[in-house]
Amino acid sequence: MPATAMIQLDRVSKAYNGLLVLNRLSLTVNPGEVVGLVGPSGAGKTTLLHLIAGLIQPDEGHVHVASSRLSYVFQEPRLLPWRSAAANVAAALRANGADRASARMLAQEWLQRVGLAAFAGYYPAQLSGGMQQRVALARAFAVQPDILLLDEPFSHLDDGYKQELLACLRALIQATGVTVVYVTHALPELDGLANHILHLQP
Amino acid sequence: MQPTLERAHTILPLPRVAAGLKKFIPAFPPRLRWTLAGIGLLLLGWQLLAMTTHSAIVASPAATLAALHQLGRSGQLGIELVISLKRLLIALALASGLGFGLGLIAGFSRACRALLEPLRWVTMTLPTVFVAILGLLWFGLGDTQVIFLVMVITAPVIYLNTLAGFDTLDQHLIEMGRVYRFPRWQFFTDIYLPGIGFNVITGLTLAAGLGVRAVLMAELLGAADGVGHSFNRAWTFLKTPELFAWMLASLLLMALLEFGLLMPLRRVLMRWQREAG
Repeated sequence: MPATAMIQLDRVSKAYNGLLVLNRLSLTVNPGEVVGLVGPSGAGKTTLLHLIAGLIQPDEGHVHVASSRLSYVFQEPRLLPWRSAAANVAAALRANGADRASARMLAQEWLQRVGLAAFAGYYPAQLSGGMQQRVALARAFAVQPDILLLDEPFSHLDDGYKQELLACLRALIQATGVTVVYVTHALPELDGLANHILHLQP
Repeated sequence: MQPTLERAHTILPLPRVAAGLKKFIPAFPPRLRWTLAGIGLLLLGWQLLAMTTHSAIVASPAATLAALHQLGRSGQLGIELVISLKRLLIALALASGLGFGLGLIAGFSRACRALLEPLRWVTMTLPTVFVAILGLLWFGLGDTQVIFLVMVITAPVIYLNTLAGFDTLDQHLIEMGRVYRFPRWQFFTDIYLPGIGFNVITGLTLAAGLGVRAVLMAELLGAADGVGHSFNRAWTFLKTPELFAWMLASLLLMALLEFGLLMPLRRVLMRWQREAG
């Protein structure tokens, strides 16, 4: 394993109910790299992200993640419906050690960066799908992650809004230099962003 | 004396009441109008029943209100209501702590859930009167047996609703919490508590209704005071209007719980839902 690798998967296998989803997969992602993962449904893209995030364990092989500062933007925003946009961002910040006052201030700042400063007090149900995903992006970047996992974050959005959010995401990735694993069905989303693109086959 | 329609009119002047309602009801929003109409129908049914039966069997609404007024003026109504309400609140607080606490434990641990299942089944299956008699046997007359009965009857309802909240909690939010390394306290305050809040409130509402019935039964069987005991006394001396007045007082007990406890709690716990529209 290279000493500098941020994410290292070594001959990892994972099966669900006897169905092999990942078979002896190895992958190395170095700091600051953006790796695109493409492939048809059922190829194991989300499983791979879950393994990196530590949400599941491999049946065989090893997963090594060099930093615990990790963010994950899921296909759906996964916001707490009973907390405002700002409180959702602040909750992640507080979980990562920020006190109440600084979490609130930082949450406001990050909402401003994704263009939602005016909606900080809104509940998720009061926001459109695209706005909710922006809040999820703000939450993901607010914790200053070393690793960012993106699982088709814009798949549910219409094309116009997708381009707008994609531009926002590119700017944030370039500004922060975060290591990214980006799962998508749409190859154009990775144009000019990904250092490597992996094709997974079922 | 046999009841007649003419006599009933002297108890409640129906045409005048109907004319009054016609002016009164349009001032309310439509939904409330239907609720008022429902109450009106209940009163009408009660009045008709009183008109067709002996006054020693069914007291008319007017006679009941007069008895209630008399109990209120003498101070007895307030005293007995406070005694029953105090017992009910203590029992509900204990049942909430027990039901919610065990519900949380069972929600987190499948082994604990399986361990508690027989106890839940027993407490929910035993007839209320059996538990009341056990309470009398163990604790004798007075507060403790009343609180015991209400607690045993209501705790499983709160427990089950807490558990239902756990089972319906969005697992995606749990995953999100794990990814962002929420500490245990934050899982509790940001995910579990608000996530199961609706179910807990529903459980408490059901428990409050059951609790009112249980407190009255326990007081009727084995207490020297309270609304249930007063009801029993009115029955013993066949003071039918007073008996009906204590029945109204039991409804008042539920109303006090609803407006004084459940509604404010609902407002606090479900504030986000109201604000989010």
